[in-house]
Amino acid sequence: MTPIQIIVTLGGIALSVFIAWFFWLAPKGQTRVSAGVSGVQEVAITVKGGYTPDIIVVKAGQPLRMRFTRQESASCSETVLFPDFNKSAKLPEGEEVLVEFTPAKAGEYGFQCQMGMLRGKLIVE
Amino acid sequence: MAKDPVCGMEIDPQSAFASREHMGNVYYFCSENCVNQFDQDPHPFVMQNPEKADFAGSATTGFNSDLRLSQVEMPVIGLKKDGQPGAELIKKALENQSGVEKVVINPTEGIAVIQFEPKVTGLMDLVNVIKKSGYQVGGAQKRIGIECIHCASCVQFIENDLATIPGVLSASVNIGTQEATIDYLPEQTSLPKLNSAIESWGYKTRVASSDQPADQQEAAHNKEYRSLMNKFWLATIISIPVLLTAYPQFIPIIRDWSMETLRATWFGAAILTIPVLIYSGGHFFTGAWAALKHRSANMNTLIALGTGAAWLYSTVAITIPGIFPEGTSEPFYDVVAVVIALVVLGQALEIRAKGRTSEAIKKLMGLQAKTARVIRNGQELDIPVEEVLVADVIQVRPGEKIPVDGVILEGSSAVDESMLTGESLPVSKKTGDEVIGATLNKTGAFKFRATKVGKDTALAQIVKMVQDAQNSKAPIARLADTISGYFVPVVMILAVITFVIWFDFGPAPQLVYGLVTAVSVLIIACPCALGLATPMSLMVGIGKGAENGILIRSGEALQTAQAIKTVVLDKTGTITKGKPELTDLLVADQSPVTGEELLKLAAAVESVSEHPLAEAIVEGAKSKGLSLSKPEAFEAIPGHGVIATVDGRQVALGNLKMMKRLNVDLGDLESKSDTLANDGKTPMFCAVDNQAAGIIAVADTVKEDSKEAIVVLHKMGIEVVMITGDNRRTAEAIARQVGVDRVLAEVLPEDKAHNVHLLQAEGKKVAMVGDGINDAPALAQADVGLAIGTGTDVAIEASDITLIKGSLKGVVTAIEVSRATMRNIKQNLVGAFVYNVLGVPIAMGVLFPFFGVLLSPLLAGAAMAFSSVTVVSNANRLRSFHPKFSAK
Repeated sequence: MTPIQIIVTLGGIALSVFIAWFFWLAPKGQTRVSAGVSGVQEVAITVKGGYTPDIIVVKAGQPLRMRFTRQESASCSETVLFPDFNKSAKLPEGEEVLVEFTPAKAGEYGFQCQMGMLRGKLIVE
Repeated sequence: MAKDPVCGMEIDPQSAFASREHMGNVYYFCSENCVNQFDQDPHPFVMQNPEKADFAGSATTGFNSDLRLSQVEMPVIGLKKDGQPGAELIKKALENQSGVEKVVINPTEGIAVIQFEPKVTGLMDLVNVIKKSGYQVGGAQKRIGIECIHCASCVQFIENDLATIPGVLSASVNIGTQEATIDYLPEQTSLPKLNSAIESWGYKTRVASSDQPADQQEAAHNKEYRSLMNKFWLATIISIPVLLTAYPQFIPIIRDWSMETLRATWFGAAILTIPVLIYSGGHFFTGAWAALKHRSANMNTLIALGTGAAWLYSTVAITIPGIFPEGTSEPFYDVVAVVIALVVLGQALEIRAKGRTSEAIKKLMGLQAKTARVIRNGQELDIPVEEVLVADVIQVRPGEKIPVDGVILEGSSAVDESMLTGESLPVSKKTGDEVIGATLNKTGAFKFRATKVGKDTALAQIVKMVQDAQNSKAPIARLADTISGYFVPVVMILAVITFVIWFDFGPAPQLVYGLVTAVSVLIIACPCALGLATPMSLMVGIGKGAENGILIRSGEALQTAQAIKTVVLDKTGTITKGKPELTDLLVADQSPVTGEELLKLAAAVESVSEHPLAEAIVEGAKSKGLSLSKPEAFEAIPGHGVIATVDGRQVALGNLKMMKRLNVDLGDLESKSDTLANDGKTPMFCAVDNQAAGIIAVADTVKEDSKEAIVVLHKMGIEVVMITGDNRRTAEAIARQVGVDRVLAEVLPEDKAHNVHLLQAEGKKVAMVGDGINDAPALAQADVGLAIGTGTDVAIEASDITLIKGSLKGVVTAIEVSRATMRNIKQNLVGAFVYNVLGVPIAMGVLFPFFGVLLSPLLAGAAMAFSSVTVVSNANRLRSFHPKFSAK
């Protein structure tokens, strides 16, 4: 093996490890939602290439109101699904859409677009 | 003391600045300013005063401002179901309220008519009283959109203002949705009044967005399609010259160009592909970046990486060729332009195909009538269907669509309900019958009272339910979901490994081979096909079910339904009509009367009885065109039967005990009666003037198509079990008629669920079919609960599948739809898996050592673009699915 080949090989291994770390292992930022005066936990979520914030921590047993605003036209993200809660909502571009329910049990619940390209997580404590 | 209607100040009429008479009332004013304001337009000031409220001459309320009393008609939810006992409860509660003069409750219409003294009590108090007795006041609910409302303090003002309008029960304004939600009594106020209350605060009102027609989504799709096609055309046009210079050896004239000229054209290609990257492929890069910020990766990431790497490498190769080994400094801009063109085209075609998957929903929504002919104040008005209010009286002529749900007040007709129930024969409707919005009035004209409008109509609820189900998840999708969660980073790692292997072990020029294969890997992998596989088929399958009158609540229900091995059928109302009918008429040998006379006399006696069996006899006589006389000296003897005098003859109807009591000699009638009872019928002896006349038998008869449906279920390899609380004799008689495999008779309602559980313990997937009301626990216990609804009963909560048409054929169709959809989903999933599992290694070059074949990135792009289109198209194939029992 030439030195260049060795460098490329090591570089490739390093890059693979980095990819695995970056997408799977590194801790992700969480957004904690607290209830307002009315007792409703409210969070605004922007939909553009992903959900911002995408990891949302809420309390169980308190009503949750999520305000989704989709800021892109790609048809992928036009529906947001909460399969565990049997909830879904169409998100017309640029319009705020409310998704409301009360998470009863603690646990981690995913939410996503119709084909699972965009994903988020709802952590109920 | 009097109250100034303008400023609200309490003043002494003696010392008032001025006074005016308006609509029979005298008003006093404190100042010139107030009286001037009143003179300009007295109406609003009078309106704000609830004591002198002018309800604009409502024809239905009978309000008359000369009277001290006000009268209001309030629709009460749930009253209809509870009937008289509920009415008593509300009446008592209202009468105890001070200020209430008179209460009339009409439980069949579900309406409370209250006369009250407005000075003592108010609408809100009355509503609260009704609430306390356990009922909700119906009224109408309307959402009104408010444009550009951002100030939170205005909300309070508008809400208060709305609440002071007479007839408004509650009002709330939501800044988030920019909508006001108002509950009100439509007889007391009108939409324009509500609108003007909002507009008086300087805001513009509009149709609430949540009420907006759903073609909004279609419009968005069309816009997106056009935008993608524009991107595609730009990329395609630029691809042509780029391709020509990329493969000079194949093109006649370019072949002869010198290396220097070619290099110059490469710079041209570099510049030409920039707009492709920015305009046509820009959304891949922005999407990839947005995903990257979330530490996630998707299809955009792959395309952006693939085309981005190709462009960067090419640009470096032509600007500083020296840093690369001999022969490797060639660009491949063609990959950039062609791949972007192909993938964008794929996305555009996908949107088109996706639009077709929701066709069923569009068809359903298209059923809605656009206008309604409402009678208000004795005048017929053609108004948009959105403005129809609960309790409006609507005129429908032959050939017109019924605009909303309601109850017929006057007239009769035949109504074609096939669009909602799949029932092909027109249903006859008379006064008091329910009509469903969006169905077609065929023969007669009638007037009906609207009971449900807007989002509450059966059609709107069906649409909502189908939409929710279409967006739900089938368990089978879970694996695909998990995989696609890891898919993209894995493909990226594979691309890196591919590059390294080609670089280390591949033939020269290694760098070019490494890069081409790595780019191919990135481009060929298609997470979209995996992600689309299940939702697209679900969309079409559940829509297909809805077209056939089957509402499937979720993807999970659909998936379980295909595996059903045992179907448990409730007898009453499911296999049978659930309503007794006259079946047999036997005339005794020595009968003093003929068969027709016998029926006529018996029916006349029963016409005053309210027993369901009696009703069956009366209906039977009427359907034979017999006119009934009035019975005299009617007497019901509990446990025996009834007796009365009709046309001067004494007629007795009852069981054996009754006949013995009257000392009637029955002859061979007794044994004939036993035979009838063995067939599951209820025989009744009839004696005229103490002589045995004959037997009239009634029975809950089997629905016409039950047998046919059960035969098909057997053919599908499904065991059919009947469950009933009835005695074994009746149950087995019915079972023989329709041919079920097993009979579970004499099962108490609370044990039905347990019996379903026992069947499940045999290791079979069990479906329970029932009418959804008393079968709720069994429906919930079963793997799939199918509720048989009739027309409007879509809100059957315990069921997984609702059959709108009350026929067992729906069970067959439901299972067929489920099997066809699941087959389609599996094809899609297998196709998407196989595509990726084969495509990625081929792109990596596993075939190269053996056959010397390498996949061009251009082909990879084409494969990727069309793999997802294929998935959607395959889902669309389901649209041509036809059930065995065609609905139309």
